[in-house]
Amino acid sequence: MADGEGDDGQGPATEAMDAAEAVVEAGAPAGPPGVLRERYTVRSGSPIPGLSMPNAEAYPAEDKRDPNRKLYALICPPGVPPRVNVMRAIKGVSSPGMQQLVEWGPMMWAPAGRQCMTVIYERPAGGRVIGSLRGDIRRIEDYDIGPKLIEPVCASIKELITRGITHRAIRPTNLYYMDEGGERIVLGDCVTSPPAMDQPLLFETIESGMANPMARGGGTHADDLYSLGVTLAILLMGRNLAGHLDDAALMRAKIQQGTYATLVGDTRLPLAMIELLRGLLCDDSKLRWDVESLDLWMQGRRLSPLQSRAGKRAARGFPFQGREYYYGRELAAAMARNWDAAVPPVLEGKLELWLRRAVEDKERAQAVSDVVRLSLGGGDKKMASDLVLCKVLMLLDPAAPIRFKGFNAFPDGVGTALAMLVAKRADTKPVVDCILKEIPKMWFEAQGEYQPDNSLMEQNFKELRGYLTQTGMGYGLERCLYEMNDALPCQSPLLGERYVVELKELLPALNAVAPANTDGKKWPCDRHVAAFMGARARSDIDRNLTALSDADAGKGLMALINLFAVFQYRLGPESLPALAAWIGSLAGVAVTEYHSREKRKELEKELPKLVRKGSLVEIYNLLEDTGAREKDRTGFEWAKAQYAAADEEIKRVQADDDERDKEADRAGRQMAAVTGILISMITVTIIVIMKVW
Amino acid sequence: MARKAKSAVAQAKAASAKKGKGKGGINKGVVLALIGLLVPFSIPTVVLVSATMLPTLAAYFSEKGPHRYAWLCVGGLNFAGVVPFLFTLWFGVHTVDEALSLISQGGVLFWAYGCSAIGWMIYKATPPMVASWLKLSSQRRLASLKAAQRKLIEEWGTDVMGKEK
Repeated sequence: MADGEGDDGQGPATEAMDAAEAVVEAGAPAGPPGVLRERYTVRSGSPIPGLSMPNAEAYPAEDKRDPNRKLYALICPPGVPPRVNVMRAIKGVSSPGMQQLVEWGPMMWAPAGRQCMTVIYERPAGGRVIGSLRGDIRRIEDYDIGPKLIEPVCASIKELITRGITHRAIRPTNLYYMDEGGERIVLGDCVTSPPAMDQPLLFETIESGMANPMARGGGTHADDLYSLGVTLAILLMGRNLAGHLDDAALMRAKIQQGTYATLVGDTRLPLAMIELLRGLLCDDSKLRWDVESLDLWMQGRRLSPLQSRAGKRAARGFPFQGREYYYGRELAAAMARNWDAAVPPVLEGKLELWLRRAVEDKERAQAVSDVVRLSLGGGDKKMASDLVLCKVLMLLDPAAPIRFKGFNAFPDGVGTALAMLVAKRADTKPVVDCILKEIPKMWFEAQGEYQPDNSLMEQNFKELRGYLTQTGMGYGLERCLYEMNDALPCQSPLLGERYVVELKELLPALNAVAPANTDGKKWPCDRHVAAFMGARARSDIDRNLTALSDADAGKGLMALINLFAVFQYRLGPESLPALAAWIGSLAGVAVTEYHSREKRKELEKELPKLVRKGSLVEIYNLLEDTGAREKDRTGFEWAKAQYAAADEEIKRVQADDDERDKEADRAGRQMAAVTGILISMITVTIIVIMKVW
Repeated sequence: MARKAKSAVAQAKAASAKKGKGKGGINKGVVLALIGLLVPFSIPTVVLVSATMLPTLAAYFSEKGPHRYAWLCVGGLNFAGVVPFLFTLWFGVHTVDEALSLISQGGVLFWAYGCSAIGWMIYKATPPMVASWLKLSSQRRLASLKAAQRKLIEEWGTDVMGKEK
């Protein structure tokens, strides 16, 4: 693991292991330096563990235009989708509390043997604030923490809010001293992993902590403020009071006692800090301090400290898996962890009874009862019971993420989760079931209050469901993958080492890999490429995508050439000779779509000229000449009719042998009779003439 | 007294039968009457024709089937052989004795029967010749059609045969 950032033994760090290991494997052998945008040189020989992220190895970087500028690069492994939208938003932004992201983009990285997403940052001169959450932590005095950390970070969070993004990686191990004197603290990288994926459970809200790390979603600035609160608490106290707890125990403690009590306990802190931490660590996101409250606090306004409320405690515990649960949220989390064991008590009505009698929440008990009663009836009983449990967990804890057979995700985190699962070649069935069974819709309904973003997401999930139900090229799971991850590079093995994020990069990448293609029958398109085109094209290309899977290979190929031609026309480049040659080698199928041999010869003669020119547009126009096609079609129909008529006549002539013999006999006899009569008449005439003469 | 009503179809059939029967009867009667009237004035001719045209009679009765044309062919040639002698009779002495005298001469019968034999040969030889000619014509047509089909295949491929790819 690239653990320049300390691993505190929490779950997410473990989750990130696989991907991080991939970085180490990829980054092991040194090679020639990488060059980003022909300006930044990244040296692969000397990694910087002290600046590496859990999913990205750090290397020194140089700006060719300004060699004295201190920079470093983070190299993202191909399997982890980076936050390209955030990169776009914060590139070049100079904020006092945030490292400046200087440049980003895919770069050929020799140690990995392929292109990798690379992010160039200004190099912090003072290094990381703390290397690990284990053991003693260097304290920051309460009089220092305001000007050094809170003020600049608050300004940066405001900057992020104005740009409509969140950081989701605020933790002490991701803070850096920008100066050698340790006067200026900044937030570190937040773009090399999906949002909050590297965050230990400690730094995530109760709700976000319940989601799988890869499926926490973008969240809101309230999540960032919570993380800031935890970071402040640890840096103020100089220790992590929850360090000895594992993930399950930490979550239980947060639910039962509240985050503040779990993290701060009885530690004596200045009143102002208590007020700040209570505000930021409030477990109710609606009551939690926002940036305005933080501003007021920094200006010296004192607000009344918030008291955390853990929810209603039941009079009697609910026995489940050898433990008694007194809170609905806690019980729901336990049930989500033990999915199969949770189904029987729900279906048998024990949960409803507990809610009715022990929690005395008749409304919720009735809702659970209704869900169980209405959902079970016919069809797949296993799936029905899974859906019942999913709905019941939403009733027990509406703010929690979607929880379905071990897949715990917020709707905006489903995309990154799917990307990670596909990259790891893990089972994607829970995600597929989640979309097909419209579970996000159920979750949005369970939230109660209307949110415009949710309706937009609901509509998106409806479209995704439509894509999943279609199995052809350009649809299915791959389409969902690219629709939900607009910054995910195309995962097609056809592209090899190429890192293709945008549609305009696809054709040049295919052109670059085309010379290596030795299989004469292989198309320059597979399910990933088709889905990528479908998701990234701004226009509706679904008709051509559907035609790609046509049983008639010629029609499919023409649809592909059409798509490529449109993209070349719109996005360039003008010449793609290698890709044109690839297409040309396959064009035989499209040429045979013409029936006329003469036309085929003409096309076969013209095609090599256009291949040399590298113009897919002209190849398409040559093969898909509507007038010529119509002429060919009508000519062929005429020829078919002619052939059929000749066939009929041949059959008739061959079948009429007996009839012809009879006809010949009759005609012969008639002819003989006529001959006899004529001879008779001629004789009579001659004799009459002779006698009369 | 009330008349029994007949259907329109039945009335039409009855009228048609009555009309047809009446017309055919008159024609035959007229022809037979005319022939009957002429016979007393041409007994020598009848005697000569009866003796020399026997092959035609034989051809008429010997042939079976729907297409009975042998008597016409044989008869035509037979008559051609008899006609010179009929003219001798008509323009010479038109008596029964003269007719019998002609018959008794071997030349008359030789020409009459010889010509009818040639007629028979023509009648037997013509149908196979026509059949051969028709067969040859069919073969030429088949060859022409197949050549046209080959050309279509050359131009449009085997798909033109109408079989699915």
